[in-house]
Amino acid sequence: MTNAQLDHLIRMANQIADNNTHHDTESEAVEMVTTHLKKFWARAMKQQIVEYALNDGQALNPVAKQAIDQLALHYAPASK
Amino acid sequence: MLQYFNPKTDTPISIDKDLGTPPSLSENQVSLSIDGVELSVPEGTSILRAAALIDINIPKLCASDNLEAFGSCRLCAVQVEGQRGLPAACTTPVHDGMQVTTQNYKLAKLRRNIMELYISDHPLDCLTCPANGACELQDMAGAVGLREVRYGFSGENHLDAEKDQSNPYFTFDPSKCIVCSRCVRACEEVQGTFALTVDNRGFGSTIAAGQKEDFLESDCVSCGACVQSCPTATLMENSVIDQGQPEHSVVTTCAYCGVGCSFKAEMKGDQVIRMVPYKGGEANQGHACVKGRFAFGYATHKDRIKTPMIRDAIDQPWRSVSWEEAIAFSAERFKKIQAEHGRESIGGITSSRCTNEETYLVQKLIRAAFGNNNTDTCARVCHSPTGYGLKTTLGESAGTQTFDSVSQADTILVIGANPTDAHPVFGSMIRKRLREGANLIVADPRQIDLLSTAHRSTTLHLPLRPGTNVALINAFAHTVVSEGLEDNAFIASRCDQKAYQKWRSFILEEQNSPDAMAAITGVPAEEIRKAARLYANVKNGAIFYGLGVTEHSQGSTMVMGIANLALATGNLGREGVGVNPLRGQNNVQGSCDMGSFPHELPGYQHVADEQARGRFEQAWGVTLDDEPGLRIPNMFDSAIAGHFKGLYVQGEDIAQSDPNTQHVEAALKAMECVVVQDIFLNETAKFAHVLLPGSTFLEKNGTFINAERRINRVRKVMAPIAGKEDWEVTVDLANALGYSMDYQHPSQIMDEIASLAPTFSGVSYALLEDQGSIQWPCNEQHPMGTPIMHVDDFPIGKGNFAITQYVATEERANRRFPLLLTTGRILSQYNVGAQTRRTDNQTWHAEDVLEVHPHDAEERGIQDGDWLGISSRAGQTVLRAKVSERMQPGVVYTTFHHPGSGANVITTDSSDWATNCPEYKVTAVQVEKVSQPSEWQQNFERLNQQQQSHLLKGRKGRQEKEAG
Repeated sequence: MTNAQLDHLIRMANQIADNNTHHDTESEAVEMVTTHLKKFWARAMKQQIVEYALNDGQALNPVAKQAIDQLALHYAPASK
Repeated sequence: MLQYFNPKTDTPISIDKDLGTPPSLSENQVSLSIDGVELSVPEGTSILRAAALIDINIPKLCASDNLEAFGSCRLCAVQVEGQRGLPAACTTPVHDGMQVTTQNYKLAKLRRNIMELYISDHPLDCLTCPANGACELQDMAGAVGLREVRYGFSGENHLDAEKDQSNPYFTFDPSKCIVCSRCVRACEEVQGTFALTVDNRGFGSTIAAGQKEDFLESDCVSCGACVQSCPTATLMENSVIDQGQPEHSVVTTCAYCGVGCSFKAEMKGDQVIRMVPYKGGEANQGHACVKGRFAFGYATHKDRIKTPMIRDAIDQPWRSVSWEEAIAFSAERFKKIQAEHGRESIGGITSSRCTNEETYLVQKLIRAAFGNNNTDTCARVCHSPTGYGLKTTLGESAGTQTFDSVSQADTILVIGANPTDAHPVFGSMIRKRLREGANLIVADPRQIDLLSTAHRSTTLHLPLRPGTNVALINAFAHTVVSEGLEDNAFIASRCDQKAYQKWRSFILEEQNSPDAMAAITGVPAEEIRKAARLYANVKNGAIFYGLGVTEHSQGSTMVMGIANLALATGNLGREGVGVNPLRGQNNVQGSCDMGSFPHELPGYQHVADEQARGRFEQAWGVTLDDEPGLRIPNMFDSAIAGHFKGLYVQGEDIAQSDPNTQHVEAALKAMECVVVQDIFLNETAKFAHVLLPGSTFLEKNGTFINAERRINRVRKVMAPIAGKEDWEVTVDLANALGYSMDYQHPSQIMDEIASLAPTFSGVSYALLEDQGSIQWPCNEQHPMGTPIMHVDDFPIGKGNFAITQYVATEERANRRFPLLLTTGRILSQYNVGAQTRRTDNQTWHAEDVLEVHPHDAEERGIQDGDWLGISSRAGQTVLRAKVSERMQPGVVYTTFHHPGSGANVITTDSSDWATNCPEYKVTAVQVEKVSQPSEWQQNFERLNQQQQSHLLKGRKGRQEKEAG
């Protein structure tokens, strides 16, 4: 699934990761990003990015990818 | 003995009474007797004020209690036991044991003689004079018993002096001037502009604007302070000249910027004659600006939408219908969309222009009646990073101080804000403090007007490159820590140690040093060091910031960087310091407080917080979604993707104010039902299916919350033009959707808010009536509100230092787009201009222009007034050029007050990482000379004409219906 909306979500996720890289360990950074996504993203957005991460995920940076993998434990991918 | 400790709260004296000179803040009391009455007043009080406090009202003309005593009219002469001569009561301070006589034969004769001289050079046209009935000269002539003018009127005089009618809002008639210089002093002391002066000497003295210019051409900013201070009809509002003196007044709150000035709406029947800043208003303390003071005519403008209108598709003409039909039509469409596309397929936008009660109801409707959390507000595009950043570091999403607190600041650090244009009344307060000796640091790509304030203390301008705020603040903090300028006691007692240690080692990294950051920010390392010392070494350092901080890809990071700096230097929790976001809209603080954001219920309670959500579910009688909803930009993306289909927008013009206009337009076109509730056919309404008439702040009851968390009452002075206040419309829509709302008055809505938002639990209309205004938190711990936050602790316990790694924005200049565009505001226009463009404020700013540095202009052969095509990766628009040295080379600047300018056609969808607040302040562009408007502008003009004709048909339909 590639569309403008998804591109935007990928960009946002990467940006959140880029702004949280400065932590002692990568797992801390991943946790920050996961928490942020949980707290601020709408359900549909989470589902879309989870679906992308599970099926492709190439455009996500490593921290964002791991964070979304974490998110996937709680949010099923978009049903389509 | 009478004692006057606190004339502000502890006296029966009306706030409207002019006590002649400003209060003394001394704690020492001095005892004296005036006309045999013993009293005690603070040391430094003038005789004039002391007498006025016991209702002995000594005649006066040149004195006013908002100005320093001047002693020029001599009318207030008194006799003091044991003192020679007859001193002026205004310039003579009281002393212990003083015995004052305010009235005897000698004094009466002197005052009569003075008045006789004044009147010998004053037109005796009282009956036809606009000040008739409200003229201090007339009152004083009566008070001193003037019965004749022995000099006659044929001598040399000023009676033929010509009027200056250049200002659209007031007239200067020097023939009536008594040269008391109150206007000159108001311009200096209250406004801080120094536009007026007294020309010549003695009998030849006249008041002049600038250097032999008329008022409009001069430096005058039309704040109205001179008009208000004039004791005669010399400076008079044109509305009073045209319509006569008002007969009653109502105290209410201005609906322009986040300063939240209190005004007296002075009325005749239901017509506003003039808006006069209210002396009892704690935010503005009797001052105003050209917008609040004069630009209220839009409320009765012919463009106001007076009936609800509907249409099936946006290319059809409007049809005027009844409220019932419009509400039923909207509810039906929303329900149908949800039935077909799911619960999450619709949402709404609350208004930061409307009242708290209205905002609260809109988000309640969305959460309870729509059944989702797809609610957002225009704070998304301005101060959402403030909410995020301050909550993370200080624990509360709001500024920490009162405006008045600046009067105790020693260094004032202004970052990405332009107070004299965007928050003018507060700008004047800053200027006053600078004149008293405070230092000023301005971090801004542009040379703002505040920098040209005449004062003797240190001024530093850090003209950083757009998009490099975080680099600057990190270098600032690096200097503070590496030079040992921290407040260690504050850090030890008030801040989380683990977070601090982590931050400390981060900020000390070489990458954050001023030398390393200089290459990024363009600000020399030594300048940053100087600034850091200037802020950290004084007793009180206060930070004020605006959208130049928030509207960046690292907006939230920068807010946290600012909070870190205040924490590290201990500049929190007392008067004169703090972290102060200058909020844009009148009620943007309130709209955030009221739960407009998709992830937070009223009072900043996260939707996933089961306990908080449970209380709302119980109060509202519904199950609420525990997942955040869509933010405005997410709604647009979702609409274009075909999932988001319906939107209820109250008092917000997303099609003009949001970035990447073409993207917004595509999103709006993709929706099946857009319901716009607004006072005009705004740009968004051109894409709407339902147009519900909104009401202005003059037509409703409610409250606004300003940038200092001050809850101010908004009071209805005229009936809503279409019959309903905005909250009533939301109530109707909720009921039509099958969710019952039942309120008779906004005070009931506030009671509900108080029962659900912990920081508002003590707020009620009765308390507001009693106190005038209250700053939240207002609850059991702070029953009378909280002027200064974080005095003893933070809502999160300890202050939390956040790591603020600088990450360059993706939006950077390259070969194709070599310049950086940044956007801003101008004094006379407000935001998208919907109101101010419909007033005489147009006189000052009839079009948006592109400011270009002479260097960039020369390279492109650009001259003043040329048409310039500005293109970015988002779009292209055309504006007229203004060559200006306010920015550095490589940076261009414009405002977005006019829809046809299309400033937001070029701004991109790049946004803050944490909140999606758009990066309005940085767009890479190219600029070139062109000969015609852009394609978007041509389309805009076509669409505008088409939609105006659709509106006209709707209006005609209504007239025909009424006639038939």
